[in-house]
Amino acid sequence: MLRTQELTKTVNSQGQDLTILSDVSLTVNEQDTVAIVGVSGSGKSTLLSLLAGLDLPSGGEVHLAGEPLHQLDEDERAAVRAQNVGFVFQSFHLLPGLSALENVMLPIELKEQDRAKERATELLEKVGLKDRLQHYPNQLSGGEQQRVAIARAFASEPKILFADEPTGNLDTKNGNKVSDLLFDLNKQLGTTLVLVTHDDRLAERCQRIVRLEGGKVVADNAVATQTEATQAATAEQ
Amino acid sequence: MLNMALRTFRRDWKAGEVKVLLFALTIAVMAMVAIGSITDRVHRAMGEQSSEFLGADYTFESPRPIDDAWIERGRNDGLEITRSQSFATVLSSDDNFQLVSVRALDGKFPLKGTIEIAEKPFTQGVVQQAQPKAGTIWLEPRILGVLGVEVGDTIDFGSIQLTVDGVIVAAPGQASEVFNVAPKVLIHIDDVEKANIVQEGSRLEHILFIAGEPAAREPYIQWLKSQKNPTQEITGGKEGTPALKAALERAETFLRLASLISVVLAGVAIAVAAGRYSQRHFDYSAIYRCLGMQIRQVHKLYLWQLLMIGLIGSGLGLALGLGLQSLIINQFSDYLPKPMVGISLAPVITGSLSGLVVLLGFALPSFLQIAKVPPLRVLRKELLPRAMSSWVIYLLSIGVMALLMWWQSNSLLLVGILLAVAVVTYLLIRLIAWFIFKIGVWLGKRGSLPVRFGVGQLKQYPAFTISQISAFGLAFIIMLSTVLLRSELLSEWQSQLPEGAPNHFLVNVQEQEVEPLESILQESGVSTKGIYPMVRGRVVGLNDMTLEEALDENQQRVGAVRRELNLTWMADVPEANKVTQGEWWSESDVADDRAELSVGEELAQRLGLEIGDVLKFSIGGLEVEGEITNLRSIQWDSFQPNFFIIFEPGGLDGFPASYITSFHLPVEDKGVLNQILREMPTVTIIELDAIMEQVQSILDQVTMAVEFIMLFVLLAGIAVLYAVLQVSREERLLSATLLKALGARKKFIRASILAELILLGAFSGVLGVIGGEVLVNILYSQAFDIDLVLHPWYWLWVPMISVGFIGIVGWLGLRHLLNQPAHQVLREY
Repeated sequence: MLRTQELTKTVNSQGQDLTILSDVSLTVNEQDTVAIVGVSGSGKSTLLSLLAGLDLPSGGEVHLAGEPLHQLDEDERAAVRAQNVGFVFQSFHLLPGLSALENVMLPIELKEQDRAKERATELLEKVGLKDRLQHYPNQLSGGEQQRVAIARAFASEPKILFADEPTGNLDTKNGNKVSDLLFDLNKQLGTTLVLVTHDDRLAERCQRIVRLEGGKVVADNAVATQTEATQAATAEQ
Repeated sequence: MLNMALRTFRRDWKAGEVKVLLFALTIAVMAMVAIGSITDRVHRAMGEQSSEFLGADYTFESPRPIDDAWIERGRNDGLEITRSQSFATVLSSDDNFQLVSVRALDGKFPLKGTIEIAEKPFTQGVVQQAQPKAGTIWLEPRILGVLGVEVGDTIDFGSIQLTVDGVIVAAPGQASEVFNVAPKVLIHIDDVEKANIVQEGSRLEHILFIAGEPAAREPYIQWLKSQKNPTQEITGGKEGTPALKAALERAETFLRLASLISVVLAGVAIAVAAGRYSQRHFDYSAIYRCLGMQIRQVHKLYLWQLLMIGLIGSGLGLALGLGLQSLIINQFSDYLPKPMVGISLAPVITGSLSGLVVLLGFALPSFLQIAKVPPLRVLRKELLPRAMSSWVIYLLSIGVMALLMWWQSNSLLLVGILLAVAVVTYLLIRLIAWFIFKIGVWLGKRGSLPVRFGVGQLKQYPAFTISQISAFGLAFIIMLSTVLLRSELLSEWQSQLPEGAPNHFLVNVQEQEVEPLESILQESGVSTKGIYPMVRGRVVGLNDMTLEEALDENQQRVGAVRRELNLTWMADVPEANKVTQGEWWSESDVADDRAELSVGEELAQRLGLEIGDVLKFSIGGLEVEGEITNLRSIQWDSFQPNFFIIFEPGGLDGFPASYITSFHLPVEDKGVLNQILREMPTVTIIELDAIMEQVQSILDQVTMAVEFIMLFVLLAGIAVLYAVLQVSREERLLSATLLKALGARKKFIRASILAELILLGAFSGVLGVIGGEVLVNILYSQAFDIDLVLHPWYWLWVPMISVGFIGIVGWLGLRHLLNQPAHQVLREY
């Protein structure tokens, strides 16, 4: 599903080349759930943006759904995203002028698929926001906004979902609710999930944890099966 | 895509995202449609008025009879054409004779304007549009005195007799002929042949008076122009009235300028609003892109938005503009030219289309930016689209502006001036931005904390600060120039016809009549501007050569050397004249053997005369020489007797002179003219009061139109200021709320916002003054022929008004919002 080879990113900062990522090689199979963890500045978000084709690497290769992202231009990468990718962001990134329903409808419309409204409504029901369809983002709480964002992320039935600190802006209770939703929907729909977090408990719900330090992969371990992890998390609660 | 665009538009509309841009566009189109229509209507109405002086839209003069087919063709085109013949002859009654200038008419006269006919001389007349019946004659009042006849009497006209049917109080066509010594009479054209008065070889002008709708008239005139021979002449409304020509032309330039200015103001407002709109949509664009939309699709989406905003804004602006112009014209109909003409389609179409074009030129660069936002912005908020080369943006805006200006004004000169000013303004803005930075650094070290914070706001977003200052500054430049130009034009027009300017002239006063005349005038309480001598003589030689030897063929044809001239002597430069070369004589060097001469510069130029040349005159069979020592410019529209050639005092001693004088006489005192005519029947009275009143009333109306358009430009300018303040309001609100959330007290917030607004106002005001002075002086010299003037008084006023306006309006827009709870505001942004 997703494969990188010796992925490197350097930026020029005040006349000096700064290496943010170096030689990252990863393979993520279909329906895998992978957490990328590390301290601030370790290169997590940069890696995510390269994996999703939001940015181009300075060296190395990224293949997403069989497409060589590193060779594609901006619009070609956008087309790959439209067909394969969903996003959940730390700061939700709902469109402020659109209602909850309209936000979820947007990716369906962008893919020019039918029944946008019905499907969006269904998804919002699944995330427990049946009564909030016509609310605008500023009328929703943070947790509610992130649930809309999750509904939006799954709306286009992506093959792979990227989540950037999806619970980072939420309290524990809302965070748990959101991560439950994320993993539930992921399981139901058979999506591949790549999430960036520094929350260990969230990371442990994934099948695999990739740890970054100073732009390098320092650990890449399978954790206990997803079921075990879920059980562990539930037991803790 | 259209569906999505419509939905986006609907959502944006609900969320209030398009309102500021729509507001700016609506204001812009409204201003262009309203100013365009008002200027167009006032302009055409003024054209109508100047036609009234001519008595027609055009006249066609020919020394030979005009082909009937030509007249037929015009009449078939739906034009009104009155044929007339004009010639000089002598009228007699008993033993009295008078040389008159006859106008014989075959139809209605005048076609434009009115003729005023009374039953007694020097009384109010009845206004009509008519022609004398065959067998009757209308006379100017002074002829009745000379011939000793009254209305109802008969006079001899060639071999027939005509009955005096009325006295001409005012008639069109007088303006250019006021100093023709022969008074005018009107008769029916059939009487010319009957009277056998025109012989082979008589000097006779055939004149057509032509009037009609422009659509029929202009092609016909063009056709006439292509057919006519060099001896035939076509005159339009404006050329017929030298006294008004300059005034009307300047008024037109001003009005044209006003409509150009509305384009600039519109562009500024739209550019600011579009910049704001696109910034607010960067996040949307990033998410769209992140969700897989391609650049092309995002472009398309936002171009649709632009088109929809354009259509709605233009529609609204058009409706409001039409309503506004009709409201204004009705409201001020008393002060505008009468009769007011109807609205025409051209300015309406131009106005609405300009709206779309301005939108494209000024908003497109910002809109194109939207799609170029890197999708990575969803992770890194600080990422902005790669800035378009500023040259591309400026060139596009300036190009569109130039196109629109040319379209509206049809004057490349005006467009050139305004574009030059745009470049100067841009440079000024850069300079001022640099200043702000320096002052910010300075204040940053010295000012109190709130002041430093306020200034910091300006420094933090230099691009936004510069765009605000340039928008405010430009609005002030435009408003200031409009105000200054208007004052200059008004004072010019006032000086053209000052209160109490002489409106009556007496010519042909004999030497022995000077004293009795002075005493009559004194008894009646009439004060004169002096009594001047007038000697009639011909120029016969130049520098010891005859004219045939000294002048080339073209120069020999100049009227002034082919006929007798009125010569005079004067001690001082006459009022409406200015010495342009050489020096006027001083009192001490009274005529030696060769008199000094002052010559009108136009005549000197046409004849190739220079200072030091010696002219020889023939006066009543005697010859006299004079040496040119200075050249004068002559203001022909001054309603003063003007002389081509003036001698120094004593230079014409010994030659028979008649005298000329002028004075101001109100209507109720006109009886004194009868007394003068009774006692000195040979004196010729020239009454200018009617025509001067008419000129005055046109100048009053033009003044009103100019005042009025100025007011409108001021309002449009204020609308722009307001729109820009609206756009920047959110920024201020957000930073103020943040301050509040951080625990700043209201006093602190107030001080920081006021510091920011005051500094913004001060810089905009300074920019406005500098740019305004530059613009107005370029316009003075290039378009209005006025000398360089500085207006130091405004250097203080404009920045003060700017600070006051921006400070107060900016503050009022924020005040109540600051009372909202901070968390509410912060959540919304």
